[in-house]
Amino acid sequence: MFPFFTLLKKIIQTGVGKARLVMATAGLGIAMVLLLIAIQAHTNFSQLLYGRQNQNESADFLVINKKITNAMMGQPEKSMFTPEEMAQIKQQSFVEAAGFITSSQFKVTAAAPGDLQFYTDMFFESVPDSFIDVKNDEWQWREGENNIPIILPNDFLNLYNFGFALSQNLPQVSQETVKNLPVKITISKGLLSEQFTGRIVGFSDRISSFLVPASFMEWANRRFGSGMAAAPSRVVIKTRDPANPALVSFLDDKGYSTNQDKVKYSKTKLIVQTIVSVIGFFGVVLLLFALLVFSMFIQLVIASCKKEIQLLVILGTAPGQLRRYLMRQFAPLYLVTGIIALLLVALLQWVAAQQLAAHSMHISAWPGPGTLAAAVLVLLLVYAVNLHNVRKYIAQHS
Amino acid sequence: MLIQLHHLIPLPLREKLEQRDSDIWNKDVQFPPGQFVKIKAPSGTGKTTLIHYLYHVRYDYAGKVLINGKLWQEYDKEALAAMRQQQVSIIFQDLRLFEQLTAMENIELKRIMLPQPYCTREKVEEMAAKLQVSHVLQQSGRTLSYGERQRIAIIRALVQPFKWLLMDEPFSHLDEENAQRAAALIAEECRARQAGFILTDLDSDARFPYDVKMNL
Repeated sequence: MFPFFTLLKKIIQTGVGKARLVMATAGLGIAMVLLLIAIQAHTNFSQLLYGRQNQNESADFLVINKKITNAMMGQPEKSMFTPEEMAQIKQQSFVEAAGFITSSQFKVTAAAPGDLQFYTDMFFESVPDSFIDVKNDEWQWREGENNIPIILPNDFLNLYNFGFALSQNLPQVSQETVKNLPVKITISKGLLSEQFTGRIVGFSDRISSFLVPASFMEWANRRFGSGMAAAPSRVVIKTRDPANPALVSFLDDKGYSTNQDKVKYSKTKLIVQTIVSVIGFFGVVLLLFALLVFSMFIQLVIASCKKEIQLLVILGTAPGQLRRYLMRQFAPLYLVTGIIALLLVALLQWVAAQQLAAHSMHISAWPGPGTLAAAVLVLLLVYAVNLHNVRKYIAQHS
Repeated sequence: MLIQLHHLIPLPLREKLEQRDSDIWNKDVQFPPGQFVKIKAPSGTGKTTLIHYLYHVRYDYAGKVLINGKLWQEYDKEALAAMRQQQVSIIFQDLRLFEQLTAMENIELKRIMLPQPYCTREKVEEMAAKLQVSHVLQQSGRTLSYGERQRIAIIRALVQPFKWLLMDEPFSHLDEENAQRAAALIAEECRARQAGFILTDLDSDARFPYDVKMNL
């Protein structure tokens, strides 16, 4: 068929309106680049948030409490979570797991051994074991044991080392030292009191509290507490994305607050999502225009060769031969455009990956599967639309 | 390939035909395969119209044109193209060459339209030599004389397979010697394909051993 098509080339001039063809092709190229960038940005963003290398432990867990307002002061029950509220939290789609943080209903004092002269009132809290980020065989307590394993927040150690110790001329301590220090814990309520030895078994980034095993808390609350099962005033939830706008608005609606740090990305994320969507939208609109210009171009070429096409058909040229010839003229054009667009986006992606890696943020240096799929889909769409137009206008004139 | 006409009446000539008789119009006519048919038709009787009906480029008629028992209208576009590539060939009165192509390219267009060409390039050059147009083969269609173009159109019609060759005043611009040569070539090619032809012209002639002679 090639020699035949070579002759057809002399008869059917596709050089008509070359400027318009160039513009349509350029439009298609720009549209594809915009679309692919939008999709790739979405992939990158997901990778930054949920990718393995970017995972940050404390991003997964949030501690929620009710905002203490002036109206609530003096009425501690108002700041507690009822079972219904707890159930509602559990039901939310962004909550993978939720657990109570149980507070101590007794007085706790802690004293450092020997010369350290450290003595303070404190409190305990406990969470279900699954929320503890310190994997430890030592995290258990049975009734009768004198040793209580305790988990301290990392922030507390830093506060001591850089705040308290330096100002009071006390020695700074390392994590290892703290773990080896036995702490004298005195639990009391009214006249009833008992002594325990507390051992720090770990440090948590996750929960800013002094944690003891749930089994100890249960026992101690029963023995020293008011006897009533108190409703929790804090809840810890496990969530995939603390910056999820749905989560943020849920908290706002219910008047709950949480460690602000982790949710502040929500606004940023919303803005970026919007920008990416706008780019994608423009890409789609531009794509539609490019398709329109292509179809008009095909119509123009065929109309300007109407007589030639009619004579070719009269002489016996099959409409299929004509269609195939025209598609051969146009198809390489968008194939090349698509490949160039993809290469451009791949280059941008590689550059972006290099830049972000310098800031310890990791994204793939290659375009994601979504981007590749989108490129293929767009090319198929352009091909299909052009085939339809060629078919239509040839049929009109043959 | 069987061509049959049932009461074929061209709509533009309807009134005229009520006043005179014709061998073809408004009759049941059959053209048996492989026959050399001559149709004599004075000016205005519709000979070009008939050729166009037989080749299915005009459809303004009443009655039926049946090809192998099927109406032309029942052939879809692909089937029609196939017929024109392999069963029916034509020499138009107005030639209908492409001016953008050279003489040779015009012939090649038809020759290589089929994936397996029926005849070789050498054969084309042979035919061109017989009709004394070898020297114009590389010239653009625009620069040839009518007679030269007519001979190119004849060669173009002969480079494909066919069962029927339709010719509408094919020798109108050829001198007697060239007309004889052309006729001999056509007869030879038709016999080789066991094909027939339908030739329309203004007057009687003895260029072919016609099997059938009709008046339009």
